Amino acid sequence: MVAPLYTTASGLLFHAGKILVVTVGLPARGKTHISRALERYLRWTGVKTQVVSLGDYRRKILGGAQKLPPDYFTLGEKSPETVALRKRISDGCEQLIWDFFNSGGQVVIYDANNGTRERRQALAEKFDKEGIHVIMLESLCDNEEIILSNIRSVKISSPDVRLVSLRWQLIIALIIGSSLKYRGWDPEKAVQDYYGRIRDHEAHYEPVEETDWPYIRIVNVGEKIMVNRIHGYLQSRIVFFLMNIHNRFRTIYFARSGQSLIEHSYKADSDLSPPGWEYAERLKEFVLDRRAKALQQRGVDIEDRRLVVWTSARRRSHHSAWPFLNLTENDKVKLPRVKVVEKPQMSEINPGVWDGLSPDQVRKFYPDEWERFVRDPYAYRAPRAESYHDLCVRLEPTLIELEREQEDLLIIGHASVIRCMLAYLIGLPASEIPAIEVARGDLIEVVPTSYGVHSQAYHFWDGPGRSQNGGGVGKDEHNFYENYAEDTQGKRRPQTAEAVDAIPS
Amino acid sequence: MDPTTLTTGDLAHVDDALEDAQQSKDLLSVQPPPAMFGAGGPMLKQFDQSSAASRMASQAATPPRSVVGIGNKVAKPDYSEAKIVLAMVGLPARGKSYLSNKLMRYLKWLEYSVKVGFIGQSHCVYCHAMEFRSSTSASYDALERDKKPNSLSGQREDHTAQYFSHDNVEATRLRDQLATDSLEMLIQWLHDGGNVGIHDATNSTRSRRAKIEERVSKEKGFVTIFLESVCDDPAIIAANVALKVSYGDPDYKDMSREEAKQDFLRRIREYEAVYETITEPHLSYLRIINVGNQVTVCRINGYLQSRIAFYLMNLHLKPRSIFFSRHGESQYNVEGKIGGDSSLSERGSHYARALPALITDNIGDAPLTVWTSTLQRTIQTVQHLPYNKLTWKSLDELDAGVCDGMTYEEIEQAYPEDFANRDEDKFNYRYRGGESYRDVVVRLEPVIMELERQENILIIGHQAILRCLYAYFHNLPHADLPYIKIPLHTVIKLTPKAYGCDEERYTLPIGAVDTHRPKPGTVQPKVPVFAGREYFNEE
Repeated sequence: MVAPLYTTASGLLFHAGKILVVTVGLPARGKTHISRALERYLRWTGVKTQVVSLGDYRRKILGGAQKLPPDYFTLGEKSPETVALRKRISDGCEQLIWDFFNSGGQVVIYDANNGTRERRQALAEKFDKEGIHVIMLESLCDNEEIILSNIRSVKISSPDVRLVSLRWQLIIALIIGSSLKYRGWDPEKAVQDYYGRIRDHEAHYEPVEETDWPYIRIVNVGEKIMVNRIHGYLQSRIVFFLMNIHNRFRTIYFARSGQSLIEHSYKADSDLSPPGWEYAERLKEFVLDRRAKALQQRGVDIEDRRLVVWTSARRRSHHSAWPFLNLTENDKVKLPRVKVVEKPQMSEINPGVWDGLSPDQVRKFYPDEWERFVRDPYAYRAPRAESYHDLCVRLEPTLIELEREQEDLLIIGHASVIRCMLAYLIGLPASEIPAIEVARGDLIEVVPTSYGVHSQAYHFWDGPGRSQNGGGVGKDEHNFYENYAEDTQGKRRPQTAEAVDAIPS
Repeated sequence: MDPTTLTTGDLAHVDDALEDAQQSKDLLSVQPPPAMFGAGGPMLKQFDQSSAASRMASQAATPPRSVVGIGNKVAKPDYSEAKIVLAMVGLPARGKSYLSNKLMRYLKWLEYSVKVGFIGQSHCVYCHAMEFRSSTSASYDALERDKKPNSLSGQREDHTAQYFSHDNVEATRLRDQLATDSLEMLIQWLHDGGNVGIHDATNSTRSRRAKIEERVSKEKGFVTIFLESVCDDPAIIAANVALKVSYGDPDYKDMSREEAKQDFLRRIREYEAVYETITEPHLSYLRIINVGNQVTVCRINGYLQSRIAFYLMNLHLKPRSIFFSRHGESQYNVEGKIGGDSSLSERGSHYARALPALITDNIGDAPLTVWTSTLQRTIQTVQHLPYNKLTWKSLDELDAGVCDGMTYEEIEQAYPEDFANRDEDKFNYRYRGGESYRDVVVRLEPVIMELERQENILIIGHQAILRCLYAYFHNLPHADLPYIKIPLHTVIKLTPKAYGCDEERYTLPIGAVDTHRPKPGTVQPKVPVFAGREYFNEE
């Protein structure tokens, strides 16, 4: 449900101004989680977004809680030094916000408590005066259980990171930056310390009741959402997104469709090849086994969980899900409940006039277009084709639906589509989307957590149609509009023979 | 240019291309090359024949039907799991009907099956069909009001009062019976395949809401959502009252307008006295204050539910107009080809030059935003317009897949059976490697959402796209959608009103071909072939 996002010369979106989202709420109300999720979503849709976290900034400037004056967090009377210190921190944060806006940023999410009316009013007026749209985003929680589990999971424990790449680990580490304060603490002591801080705040907290500013109030992580005077394009997108996120445990699987008879034509929309059908059978078996194992590990009854399979309306994709519609009695033990849904929005990236051509032919007949495509495969749209950006816009409703879905999900899709969705889930920058590797024969398992996602790829199939060398020259050359970018962009392109050898085949 | 005469330049071009083709030993003969797997060339047919063998080797027990040729009919997506009872809550004249009408139109456009169940429907066999809604809800109003016997006035009210007030217990029983019957009917209808049943009543007390919620929760997989419309803006209420009174409500047919208004206002005050806003924390509800100004969403789970919430959140009541126009006549239009990305014809450029005057005459100084597709012909059409312009990829013309760039005659010649199939069920027919009308509706949903949020908009689009958008605003059935007439060089102005849209059409006297293909078998005027494609003769 995203309108086209067009950037003007200033680098901002055409029809949305600059927005400051001011989070409001007591500690451990999920502000950080919501802020990060929103940042990830907006960045994926191409909006220049930044979370400015007061807590992170304070830790960077002043160090952990032990180094602070004792009255730093207690509200009420403070020594002049503490007042000056606090002012220094909040001024510094505001400067960060201005810096981001001035360098072409569009949305800033100011992650801080902002618990008093006076403070919010001053902040909002300051930015409003400069033409920035201010939204209050309040997160309330009256469920003690949620609060305690927030403290334990986000603030105290470091997440159990089992990721396939170092970079992802780095991203996750950034997301949980706020837990650094308690690293090395005794967990119970940490909980007590944090809980004490919350109690102090509660006494002085003033919920957002002023209706003169636009606000969004979220109660108990999405159980109830109130929206006041939210107008504007991005603002309403933000609301819809927030309405759809949930934190129920589930798993999302991604797999590519099987090989088709004419791999390199979008228009021909051909059937699966014989190895393609074989692949479909193997995929079904592997998903059943893998999922049964995963559910068992978590102690979830298989009868309780349905598997929803999404395919595109392309035949290679829908046919790859065919075995799920013809389960044997044996299969049904492992997968008692399944539903297959065909989604026309999930077709692969449209190659336009380049359909069916080889890279050489394109280079020859469309030299200028080729040049621009190679330079920026994310944003460039070949004649009558879609760019990856167009594809992201097209996929956005599906993505919201993915966020909303409570059941386990298997997406049998095309490389380009899986790339966009993975990039969103993992939080990769848009420009890297075309270069994400999605090999046929791998099942990618993604488990959303409060910090981001855990993801893991399982290899289950080798055969015709699988990329032979994991991203080198010659990879899926017959389907080049979808896959050529892997070779042109980024670090994965093997430059030397040595590099090629280093990649397991 | 006359296509039959070739210049020496053309011949040289052909020579070059042939040389190239020989060098690269491929099938390319012109530059740029034609679509490799277009339905016009021989490759697609050859491929289909040769691949039949490989399908036999398939491992699947019963492989899905293979699609050969240029496309196939696609079944409607399975919405059978969506079972929602949407119960309206709110005082009279607070825009409940406006919201439920809009919502019904939106959901129907998305092919959900939606029904509004009015209170007392089952008792209304004696009502005249035209008076159906107003009289039933009016008698329900009378029943509700009956709790306070002294408050009644007016001719008809006296009648109903007489009828009910002599036995208050009986009235309460009857009222409950009416509400229960109506809900039962909705539930039955949902069982019979419906998706969203709208329970249109005031449902203004907690006990009534509790009853609804309790009843629906007995049905497995059914969900209740309450939609409360609150309005404290006197201007909006007054407008709603005026609308109600002037719409010829049969309740008021023997009264003067002023009397009717007074009576209606009195009626509202009666309701206000017993009204209880939704505070029950366990209910799943949406509260909309002053149509979109303030929205509360509570315990809304499920995708369709959140979509409904988001849609209602985006509505507004500011007066505005939406203008639709197709691009100016394109080269492909002249040649009778479908799809493509051709430039405007000379007459098309003429239209582009004439368009600014037409629009500015109509809209004056009011702000306007122009939306186009990413295709040349729409961008060229707006080039002289002095407004903000945005291009949407989702406004691109229906993708005709393998048939892109062919004429209907060529398609009919190459694939006669497929061609006939499409005519049989055009909405559901998906071109191979392309789209069906349904796919276009799905892709246009974000456009509709954004259109609801915006004010004055001019969309320069394409035939199939505008048909889909037009069907949304006029609530037209999907079977008729692919046959809506959207001629070239015509601006359609839609002005949303409380219960639909007003429409004006402005046709510029600039000749253009007629690209409308009526459904074969339906009556169509017989005209000579070449003149038949013209609906304006050039001066």
